[in-house]
Amino acid sequence: MSRSDVLVDADWVEAHRDDPGVVLVEVDEDTSAYDKGHIRGAVKIDWKKDLQDPVRRDFVDRAGFEKLLSERGISSDDTVILYGGNNNWFAAYAYWYFRLYGHQSVKLLDGGRKKWELDSRELVTEVPRRPATSYKAKEQDRAIRAFRDEVVAAIGNQNLVDVRSPDEFAGRLLAPAHLPQEQAQRGGHVPTAKNIPWSKAAEEDGTFKTDDALRTLYGDAGVDFATDTIAYCRIGERSAHTWFVLHELLGQPNVKNYDGSWTEYGSLVGVPIAVGDAS
Amino acid sequence: MSGGTQAAPGGAQTAAADGGGQAVADGCGAPAGGAPIKDAGNQAIVQGKVTKGGAPVGVGYARLLNSGGDFVAEVPLGEDGGFRFFAAPGTWRLRVLAPGGVTADREVSAATGKIAELEVAV
Repeated sequence: MSRSDVLVDADWVEAHRDDPGVVLVEVDEDTSAYDKGHIRGAVKIDWKKDLQDPVRRDFVDRAGFEKLLSERGISSDDTVILYGGNNNWFAAYAYWYFRLYGHQSVKLLDGGRKKWELDSRELVTEVPRRPATSYKAKEQDRAIRAFRDEVVAAIGNQNLVDVRSPDEFAGRLLAPAHLPQEQAQRGGHVPTAKNIPWSKAAEEDGTFKTDDALRTLYGDAGVDFATDTIAYCRIGERSAHTWFVLHELLGQPNVKNYDGSWTEYGSLVGVPIAVGDAS
Repeated sequence: MSGGTQAAPGGAQTAAADGGGQAVADGCGAPAGGAPIKDAGNQAIVQGKVTKGGAPVGVGYARLLNSGGDFVAEVPLGEDGGFRFFAAPGTWRLRVLAPGGVTADREVSAATGKIAELEVAV
């Protein structure tokens, strides 16, 4: 896997967005951003309404994913270019999700919506009309998704990478004051986890740092590249950004994203928790 | 610095800062807009507006960095050039990014129950 397999830049998008078999998808937390303006030809996916089960805390199932992508006019063999706000957090989350359901050709626009805007590139409000498809997904690839018992078993045995801010890691913050519905019962982090905030992997314009800089970042923070890794944050989208860095950019073979993340772990009965700043 | 900080683009509010407010977001990032905040409540708010030649800069980003220069939060500017962060008490650096490679930095102090208001001309 090399960068060009998983990342494209804005010039590539401008040159290829009308190519047959290329579909641009904007994924945002604030979906009004798309409505105010998006890259010409891009369709919209709402990370929550479209990708989460409306009742259970889980993803839409395979049939639901097939229905969503069919409605959006995306085929199994299309090259999907994902981008979004928040330094591509939710685009990275969607990327991981596409991979989870076995989509072969999916890439991120490096820098996402932010760099596109800062470079004063064109945004339009016209919504493209794509004919519906019959998308076929695969069974979930559990090799890239961690569940809670695996996290507990990984303590002291695998790399655990907590990508939240230092305050969340230390336990001083559980969740933003305006997000009570996602608040965990306890603050802190999984014992032995290294705190490497997602933001350290990105430049100011939202693009990813170089492979060398990334390898140094994680290596210096104590990640053992010879060992399997689980990344987590609060709800799994910032850690999808880090999963992308470790698994897709750096080619680490066994990296899982724990999408239950701190909102689940910090509410579990009986599991070990550590508090305080990283040493 | 114990930088417990949340962020909202211009015009947003939180239920915590203004009890009648709408719940504004459910992810990790910047919540969508709402009514202006009149009272900081128990929050330490850093907010303001970015202008160029007296007109609001509606496309751009405000980043909050801690005293060590590390990233804490980022919001897109509102259409009125506005930004808002729910910071912890202390000293912060606000950095504005705008098209054309424009950047501007400001030091700002936040205190609980206060709104630190900035106008950043770029």
